[in-house]
Amino acid sequence: MIKINNLSKIFRTDLIETHALRQINLQVNEGEFAALTGPSGSGKSTLLNVLGTLESFDQGDYLLDGRSVKGLSDRELSALRNEKIGFIFQGFNLIKDFSLFDNIELPLRYRGFSSTERKRRVEQALETVGLAARRDYHPSQLSGGQQQRVAIARAIAGEPRILLADEPTGNLDSLMARQVMELLEKINQQGCTILMVTHDPDQARRANRHIQIVDGQLNDSSMYEPLAAGA
Amino acid sequence: METLIHNLKLSWHSIQRAPLPYALTLLILSLGLGTFFSNATLYYWMNRDPIPEKSQTLFMARLNSLPGDCTDCFEPPRVISYMDVQKMSGSGITSAEAAMFSSNAYAKTLENQQATPSQVELRVTQRDFFKLFNVPFLQGETWPDNKARMEVVISKNTAIKFFSRTDVVGQDMLLDDKLYKVIGVLDDWSMLPRLYDVNGRRSAEPAEDIYIPLETAYDLAIQSNTQNSFTDVDWDGNMATYPQMARTNFANMLQFWVQLDSPEKVQQYQQFLKNLVQDEKAAGRHPRPEGNKLDNILDIQKAMRATNDQLDAFALVASLFLLVCVVNASHLSLNRYMANQYEFSLRRALGASRWQLQSQIMADVLLSSVLAFAAALVFAQLGLWTINSLLPGTRALASWDWQMLGVMALFVVLVSYLVTLYPALKTSFSPLNQQLKQ
Repeated sequence: MIKINNLSKIFRTDLIETHALRQINLQVNEGEFAALTGPSGSGKSTLLNVLGTLESFDQGDYLLDGRSVKGLSDRELSALRNEKIGFIFQGFNLIKDFSLFDNIELPLRYRGFSSTERKRRVEQALETVGLAARRDYHPSQLSGGQQQRVAIARAIAGEPRILLADEPTGNLDSLMARQVMELLEKINQQGCTILMVTHDPDQARRANRHIQIVDGQLNDSSMYEPLAAGA
Repeated sequence: METLIHNLKLSWHSIQRAPLPYALTLLILSLGLGTFFSNATLYYWMNRDPIPEKSQTLFMARLNSLPGDCTDCFEPPRVISYMDVQKMSGSGITSAEAAMFSSNAYAKTLENQQATPSQVELRVTQRDFFKLFNVPFLQGETWPDNKARMEVVISKNTAIKFFSRTDVVGQDMLLDDKLYKVIGVLDDWSMLPRLYDVNGRRSAEPAEDIYIPLETAYDLAIQSNTQNSFTDVDWDGNMATYPQMARTNFANMLQFWVQLDSPEKVQQYQQFLKNLVQDEKAAGRHPRPEGNKLDNILDIQKAMRATNDQLDAFALVASLFLLVCVVNASHLSLNRYMANQYEFSLRRALGASRWQLQSQIMADVLLSSVLAFAAALVFAQLGLWTINSLLPGTRALASWDWQMLGVMALFVVLVSYLVTLYPALKTSFSPLNQQLKQ
């Protein structure tokens, strides 16, 4: 699903160069639920952004679903993001003026689906995250956990091949965090690959693969035994 | 269409999020546009061809016939004498010709003699005036010849003003207590700019109310209210002798317009004037050098040195003001877009291409254009009102036709896009990740 070879990312200012990612090699297979952990500033969010094509890279190669993203045009990258990747952000990133329906529908519009198809997919996604009855609510009317479920619905409505989650439970209390994790596990069981950045070792244990990143370098291991779903 | 409606809805949400900065941007933009439109309106009217179907055939003829030996006086006077007109008429070359000047009088109707008379603008002219400038008649017709007669043609508005109706052919009117019969009523008509009356700088004023025969005016000692130039006139001031004096001296106050239907006719008439001057010189008249002028109607403002320098200055100031407003509005717009940067980045992350963002921005431009256009028209009206107050001679130039409104609307869209262009590009090309990481 994801294959990166010798990938490096350097942030440059007038004075200094910061090597955020150093010669990284990684393969994430279809159906995996991988947790990416590491201390602050280690490069985990940068890696996630590169994988999500939100950020470019300086060296190496990145193949998503067998296709190299290097040299793709803006239009091709946008289509790639839209069709194959679902994003879940720590801060939910919902548009507050929009209803839940409109928020979830937004990426489907960019894909050019008909209104009937958009409606079907949005309702299905809302059903999956358990918020079908609140389709006309606005984000401000929901709890943090519910907002993150809306963000997950938005991410899965386009039926992406991979979900990239950047600390999806970082802003939630433990109960809501557990609900969100259960939802992600359910989505993964339905066949969607998930790569999740997290600070929380307990969250990482729930994934079936653990990847550590320190100073821009990967230490791919399975130091935690995967937990049973719902544990 | 569905995408456009969706994008317009998003634009409206964006405005609602920060209405005051948006209103300020709109205010600055529409103020600049309104000021610009005020001047553009005047420019359009002042510089348009008022009679495109025949402007190439209309000419004002002048002779350099003033008395006095002046070997370096090549420029003919702005107005010519009755004697000149007599000599220049009846060539057989023109398809229409009319001498004219403007004047004014106090008018009232016979039925309402006790009423205070109203001042009216007069065009003193000859029968071909209406043919020369394609003036439409609603009722009646022009005079049968150029002889003196106590008959007038009046405008539709004048008919309504004095008689409250338009079918007034045969009715009597008092002009300066002289009785005239109405023989024709004009249909709605205006000629802007009124290039047949550039002399006296009155080309921006509305058409006259009443038209009276030239010979009648001479008989009644009606004089021009714009330019009289009496040279070597031997007259004791006795009004009883005025008609004779005005017809036989260099009492210059006439413009003489001719219609020449082809370049050959123009050439023939020029030769006719040339021959006329040679004959005059042979007869011991026309002491000055030949300086015949046959100016096309579209060149007349330049020929009469009647271009409006004040309007030029206004136009320059208005253009610079618009530029300042566009720069300021663009700056405010940039702030607004940067405040919404997060949302643009989110859209990009969710799969919107830069092109799709541009279509959203075009919806912003469209919405802004509609609002700015409406506000700019209000400011433009205020601007025109101010200019009309400062320059009363421009009061007829304050209206818009559909073509002008269309061009103005397109201009607003273009300027709105310019205002949005830099902020839009900056927003579309900024890094995505920083905005989404909270």
